[in-house]
Order: sequence, then C-alpha cells, then structure tokens
Amino acid sequence: MSRRIDTDVVVLGAGPAGLAAACAAMEAGARVVLVEREERVGGILKQCVHDGFGLVRYRSKLSGPEYALRDADRFAALGGAVMLEAFVTKAERRDGGFSLSCVDKGGVVELSSKALVLATGCRERTDRQVFIHGDRPAGILTAGLAQYMINVQGLLPGRRALILGSGDIGLIMARRMTLEGMEVVGAHEAKPEPSGLSRNVRQCLEDFSIPLELSSTVTSVRGGRRVEGVTTARVDEAMRPIPGTERDVECDTLVLSVGLIPENELARSLGVPLDPATKGPKVDQSMHTLVDGVFACGNAVHVNDLADYVSESGETAGRAAAAYASPGARPERRLVPVEAGPGFLYAVPQLVDLGSAAAEASGGATGAGSAGSAGSTGGADERAAFYFRSRATMPGGAVVRMATADGTELYKRRYAVLRPPEMERFELSPHALSEALAGMRGDGARLVVGMERLEPK
Amino acid sequence: MIARRSRTGGRGIALSERGGSIVIEGQAPSYQEKVEIGWAAAKLGFKGVVNDLSVEGAPEETLSPPLLADSALEGAYYDVVIVGGGVIGSAVARELTRLDLSVALLEKESDVAAHTSSRNDGMVHDGFAAKPGSKKAAYNVRGNRLWEPLCAELGVEFKRPGSLILFGSALSAAAYPVMAERARRNGVDGWEFWSRARVAAEEPNVAGDQHGAFFLPSAGVLSPYKATVALAESAIMNGARVFLDTCVLGMELESGRIARVRTNRGACRAGVVVNAAGNWSDVVAGMAGDRFFSLHQRRGTEAILDADTGRHLRHIMGMPRLVQIKSKTKGGGLVPTVEGNVLVGPTAAEAPGREDYSTRAWELRELEKHVRLNTRLAMGQAITYFAGVRPCTYEEDFVVERSERVPNLVHAAGIQSPGLASAPAIAEDVARMVAEIASGFRAVRPRDGWKARRSAAPEPRRLGPEARNALILGNPAYGRIVCRCEEVSEGEIVDAVRSVLPVSSMDAVKRRTRAGMGRCHGGFCTPRVMEIVARETGSPLWAVTKKGPGSELCVGPTKGARV
Repeated sequence: MSRRIDTDVVVLGAGPAGLAAACAAMEAGARVVLVEREERVGGILKQCVHDGFGLVRYRSKLSGPEYALRDADRFAALGGAVMLEAFVTKAERRDGGFSLSCVDKGGVVELSSKALVLATGCRERTDRQVFIHGDRPAGILTAGLAQYMINVQGLLPGRRALILGSGDIGLIMARRMTLEGMEVVGAHEAKPEPSGLSRNVRQCLEDFSIPLELSSTVTSVRGGRRVEGVTTARVDEAMRPIPGTERDVECDTLVLSVGLIPENELARSLGVPLDPATKGPKVDQSMHTLVDGVFACGNAVHVNDLADYVSESGETAGRAAAAYASPGARPERRLVPVEAGPGFLYAVPQLVDLGSAAAEASGGATGAGSAGSAGSTGGADERAAFYFRSRATMPGGAVVRMATADGTELYKRRYAVLRPPEMERFELSPHALSEALAGMRGDGARLVVGMERLEPK
Repeated sequence: MIARRSRTGGRGIALSERGGSIVIEGQAPSYQEKVEIGWAAAKLGFKGVVNDLSVEGAPEETLSPPLLADSALEGAYYDVVIVGGGVIGSAVARELTRLDLSVALLEKESDVAAHTSSRNDGMVHDGFAAKPGSKKAAYNVRGNRLWEPLCAELGVEFKRPGSLILFGSALSAAAYPVMAERARRNGVDGWEFWSRARVAAEEPNVAGDQHGAFFLPSAGVLSPYKATVALAESAIMNGARVFLDTCVLGMELESGRIARVRTNRGACRAGVVVNAAGNWSDVVAGMAGDRFFSLHQRRGTEAILDADTGRHLRHIMGMPRLVQIKSKTKGGGLVPTVEGNVLVGPTAAEAPGREDYSTRAWELRELEKHVRLNTRLAMGQAITYFAGVRPCTYEEDFVVERSERVPNLVHAAGIQSPGLASAPAIAEDVARMVAEIASGFRAVRPRDGWKARRSAAPEPRRLGPEARNALILGNPAYGRIVCRCEEVSEGEIVDAVRSVLPVSSMDAVKRRTRAGMGRCHGGFCTPRVMEIVARETGSPLWAVTKKGPGSELCVGPTKGARV
C-alpha cells in the first residue's frame, strides 16, 4: 500500500523560494511538508560557490550554499518535515484542497493538503531553443550545467570555451572556467547590451580581459564527436545574422547562457493561468495564483535577478498559504488587474486582491503575518512588493507611477537609470492599497503602472 | 539526358558497362547534377548504376573506424556475419536466430540504431506512396502487417493512428480515384475518401484550408530506436552476438567466396555475410567485389515539438502538392509519436555526406508549412531538431537479393524510406536467402527454445500507483527520479546500462530511457546520468561519452578534485 500524508501546506521545491515559504508557513502555525526532488535542499544555490548572496536580506555577502543554509537551518529549527528525492507525478484539486501523487525511494506517497506552494524554479534555454545549427557533438552545455560539473562534480568540461549569451550564470562561469585554467575566448551576446548584471560584466569579464562581443551570435557548431569550433556572426537589429560576417572560432566547448524559463508544468496541469510575459503564474500581492489555494513564488513566477527577492516572495507565499489553510473564514478575493504600460517587460504581481488588502489593513484579520515573524529577517511583512523590469535601457532614467484607473496616484518614483537585466522593486502598504481602491467597484476596476522615459542630461 | 549532361558538365563523362551495371565516370559540376545523371542512367535498364562521378570540392568519403582496437573477433567463426546494426541488421539477426546458426552482428558505432534507424520519424507507412511493382511497395505492405504483432512480442509500443493525405484544393481532391487505384495495386490495407467535414470532425485542430483527405488507416508509428534496440536484444537473448564499436574494414575472398571479414577488432571467418550497412552498403558491397550499385544521400531534417503537443494531433498528416504525390518522398508532414510529441518533417534534399547530420536554418523554415496544417501547433513548441540521411540507390528502390557474383553474400541495401516500415518483411526474406546459402555447407534446423518474447525493462511512469509502489519496494532505484522532464528513474538507467546489450554512452541511455530527451534537454539530468553510468561501468566520471570514444563530456577533473 502506498503511504498517505495529510497536511495544511505542501511546498514543492526546496530552493531559496521553497525554503522561505516553508519556514514562513510553519512560523504562521501551519503544518508543512516540503517536497524536494534532489538529495539535498538548497536548489541551484548549492552550485553557486561565488559570493554576492544575501546583501539585501542579511546585509552580508554570502556564497550560495551559505545563503541556503540560513533558511535550511531555520527550517530544521522549526522541526520542519522535508521529503528528499521525492518527485510529484500528478497534482489535482480535490475536496477543496489538493491531492498529490509523489514517488520517492520508499514508494508512492499520496499527499493531501489545503494549500499548495509552487516553488519549482526555472530551467535554462538550450541551444535548440536559440536555433543553433550544424553538428551536435559533445561539448555543448548550458552555463548551469557547466557550473554543476565544475563546482559540484569537480569536472572540467573542456579546455577552450566560447560563451553564447551574457546572462548572469554565463558571466559567472566565464570567471569560474578561467580560474579553473580553461581559456574563455569570448562571450557573444546577440542583443546590443549585456543581459546580465553590470557588476557581473565588470567582475567576471572585464577583470579577466574576456572580450564581450555585442550584437554577435553563434550560428552553427562544427565537430563530429567533440566540438571543434563554432561559427559566429554579427546580427542586425532584428537579431538576424548578417551574411558575410561569419567567423570560425576554434574551441572545444560552447557554453550557453541564453535565458531562463520558469518551470510550470505542474501549474499548467492544475489549470493555473500563466502570464505570457513572465511565463509564470499570474499572482496577486500574496503570491496567490488565480486558482484558489495555489501559491507560487521565486523563479517559477518570474526570473529574479537576486536570490534575496526569491526568498522574499517565498516568505509572502508561505505566510499567505498558511493563512489560507488556517481554520475560519477566508476573506473573499476581490481581484483587480495591474496593467503594466508598454515600457515594462513585465510587472509582478499582475493582480491585487482587495479582499486580503482590506483584511491586512484592518489588522491582520487573516490570522497570519504577525505571530512568528519576529525571528524572520524578511521585514515589512504586510507590505505588498511589486517587481518589474523595463523593456529597454533608459540611460536617462524614468519616472514610474502606479495609479488607479481614475488617476488616484499610489506610488511615484524617479529612477536614475533602468536596465532590463536589473529587476526593480517597490512596495506599498496594504493600508494605502485598500484606501486608494476603496471606491473601486465593478469591471472597470484596475491599477495602472506607467513609465515615463527621461532623456539623459 | 546523359549526353546533354556530359556537355554541360564540360569535362566529359565516360559511360561503360561492368558486370551488367552501367558505370559513370568523370566529373560533375555539382552534387545535384551528379545525382540527376545517376537518375537518368537508372532509366537505361541496367542492373544497377555505379555513379563514380567526382564532384569538385566534395571528395569521396571514407569510413572512419572507431578508436577501439583489440582482437575480440580474431580467428572466430560465425555461420552468419551481419554488417550493420540498424533496424535492418537487427531484424535480420533476430530472424536468423530462429535457426540453429551462429550469428554475429557487427556495428561500427557504440550502439545499434546510431544512424538512419534513429534519425527518422518512426512512421510505419501504409505502402501507398511506393511505386507499384517495386520492392518498396511489396516489403512495405507486408512490413506494415508484421510490425504490430512483432512489437507485442518485443514489448515495444506500436500505435496505428492512420494517415491523412490532405487535399489542398478541389482540383487535388479529384485525384482520389487515381490514388485509390495506386493503393489497390500496392495491396494497401484500406483507404477512404474523407470529406472536408469528416476531416474537420475527426481531426479537430486541422487548418481550415483543406479540401478533404485520402485516409490510410493502416499507417502506424513506433519508436524506431527502441524497436531496433529491442530487435537486437531479442536476437542476443536467442544466442546472437552483437559487437559494438566494430567496423568492417575489408573482406578476403577465396575461390570467389568471402572467407574472412577484417575489422578493427580482428578478422573472423564467415559462412554467409549480410550487407546491411546502411549509408555505407555500397562501400561494403565493394569490399566483396560486388559493387553493382551506388548510393546517393538524401538528407532529411525533422523538428520535435514539446511532449504536451501530442494531444492536439490524432492522425499522421501531410498536404503534399499534387506533383509531390509521385515524387521520391511523400513530402513530410506531422507525425504523432508514441511518446506524445509531434514530429514535423522530414525535409528531403540531395546532399553529400553519408553521416552529415548538421542541420541548416532554411530546413526549419521549410517545416513551417507542415506546422500550419494544425492550428494548435507552432515551431515555437520545438524542443529540438535533427537530421537523418537516407541511403538511396539511383533506381530509388531497395536492393534485397543474393549477390550474383559472390555466392555467400546477401544484400539488404539502399534501404531508404519506407525502410523502417519494411524492415520485418525484408528480414524474413533475407533470413530465407541466408538459410538457402547456409544449407549448402551445413544442416540448418530450427533453434530449440527460441523465444519470441522479450521481457522489456519496467517503465514505472506507466504503472498504476499500487504496481509502481510494489516495484519501488522491490528496488528503491525505481523511485529515484533522475530525468524530471520525462520522469525517468535511476532504475531504468541502470537497466539500460546492464541490459543484454550493455551500453555506456549518454545518447544510448537517452534512446532507451528518454532521459535527457525532454524540454530541458539534459540540463538537469546529465550529471546524474553520468554518475550512474560511471558507477555501473566502473569508468571515471569525466570519461563518460555522448556517443562513444572521442565524445567524452569532460576532459578531466578540476584542480585538486577527487573524482
């Protein structure tokens, strides 16, 4: 017979988002089962031996494993239950809650819960998704895979590497591979600007004299068994290779850092609506998806630039999931959309729940958010965090405004510079939210975020 | 035609007759012209076309043998030596194990099905497209009937979705009687005219611009590499030997018969030799002094769409232009695979390179036209794409016969599309020919205890909860999911590595288990699969290969790492 476990909240994924969510839910008094498919908790942080984690959340510079350990220890201290090497094969809604089938090395486990937190992270885009042609020898790998091989397995993936893309993991791996004695011949980015954080361009490429070629891509790979070389080409504004600019570069390794895609196969199977801009579930300010009882956080919702914000959204989701699972009446959800103007790549959350905002504003009537949060470092528990990325670089900065449809302003800030690789964040108090939206009724109710570009001086 | 070509070629083309075949020598200005000259020569009524035209800038290819060198075969004797471990060689091997003969199958790659047999769309054609009276037509229709029961014996999934040849205009729909007559002449198992409304009802996501369809219910699909692996394993379970990384380098003849087969692993003696060498079958024929045909290569590229696309497509479908119905391939289309993906393609382009599997950007653009046939599909759903090379004779038909010159040689060559569909039927015939030859030097009796059934390794994801639970309780490795996209467990990977046909490359594991075949394309599971393969084979972690020696995934440990 398969095993059965009944709980309040199931958190899927024990990376930074899931760990934070599980801790927050437990601190709010919920019974929690954390499900992780790998052997250890920590997610991708386990392979991030570089530092720079925790600057926002802990005001200190930690490595990935150190950062993960903080919440792992917190979860252990709370006496949390984690299922390791456990894999969800099926998820469905049942009897107002959720029923999940899992397998682990002990067999099949049937989990039932009142609320579900999806903290499933993201995956890397592959060479096939950026339509690289030519042969398919050994030696083509994503930056994350190269990172795992070098940092966890102690394996050297090649001797002479070219990097396609300038995402953060690719930049970090340029440095890492160089330190391990590999020759990194260059990073090629099809866009006219780098995709990764400025600090990574400086610290990982410039400091090591690794050339970054913008508006340049890899069109094909050469080599039967192992990569022998790649063809690079300049690209036009539409990112199409320009004929005549092809160059053959000898290398035995091609590392790809061409973007991340939120993992949402389970969300999809539960009928959770996704945002085509983020490729993650649409959520409200509590990280509650449009399916009641399903919460989502971290890179499964949108790809964050810093792990600190991943944890922050986990805290929010975990707290809200615990509140949802707690006995008593749930405030009725009154969702109004947040419409992001054309200047935004995306904005999260995509919705605001007036019902819970009103409840929070009137003093935590949901029963969550205050009890256990003293020990947490998240801070500003009840405030609603908004995250966005601009569609284009605004070297002169921009004014970002959030208002109701009828023009009542909730937030305004002037940013000195906006760049798509750098995620921006602002917060609103539930009080301000509920007050500004108090008069909003009916179908026309919505919030609008707009961006006004400023010219460089 | 040939004379005209020779003028345009400018350097002169010499024609001669050798052993009943027409031999073309000289220089062609391009590969395309070389092929067209070969096609023209095929109409002249000779036994075969040996097209030795050279093409500037395209030197004649030579076999590059595996890095492995030992003496595993030195001095051995087998009643039958099969050259080539594709679907044909593997099916022939299994068929021959019904008889009390010693059988060795030699495959130059690190796995069976490494080339054309894993680089196709898995379609078991109905037999309509083949030219009436051709070997293709006969073998295809019989093979189509044999595959379903054979898959049941092998424990391999087979589905029969049927094929819709969509009409793009009212005019093309008028071709129905002609098509029906061709299907009748080929002996195809059933055909129907479907009206526009019927097509729309049975294939809900079909694009609106169709004018009905020619429906062929017998068309099926299977996983071509799983089927080939299963055939090879079944052969091994019944006593055949399969030698991987073993390349035939030459043959020694005595009194006109093949006496010894030379390989990178020593020379063995052979009673009968079967040439099932795919894109090298003309070269292998030449090693025995019987190169009465030659091959040209027609490359085809296909795209694989995400695993959740299969639910949008019920039938195999394509919309060939009217002129394509009589062309050399049926023009490609959409194929729902047994695994739930959709395959788009293949393209068809004459291109040199017997093993050139590089893909080109224009090929993917060409596949767009197929994707448009279904309103729910888009090229953006592609998780990968790949190319295959069809081994084609200039007669554009199979060569399945006893050699006229070498009494102990049987050819199964030029097996292009619909070769997969035809494989079981070709294997029957080849085994019969081999038995005739073998009975000349020894008594040929049925093998005692021959087993039709292959016990396939478990696939936990296909089991119900209780059965799966019981399986995991018996072996916890079946509960440890390694490939998250395709839900493949450690136990399945161990089974693949330890099977009767042990393999150790990532590609071989992928073909057997689907680990790494999903949407993340191995990004997450590659390290885990490497660790399991290394542990099971006792090799260092960095020495794990993608597809055999020379394709190691890593070059060694990092500084100071203990691996």
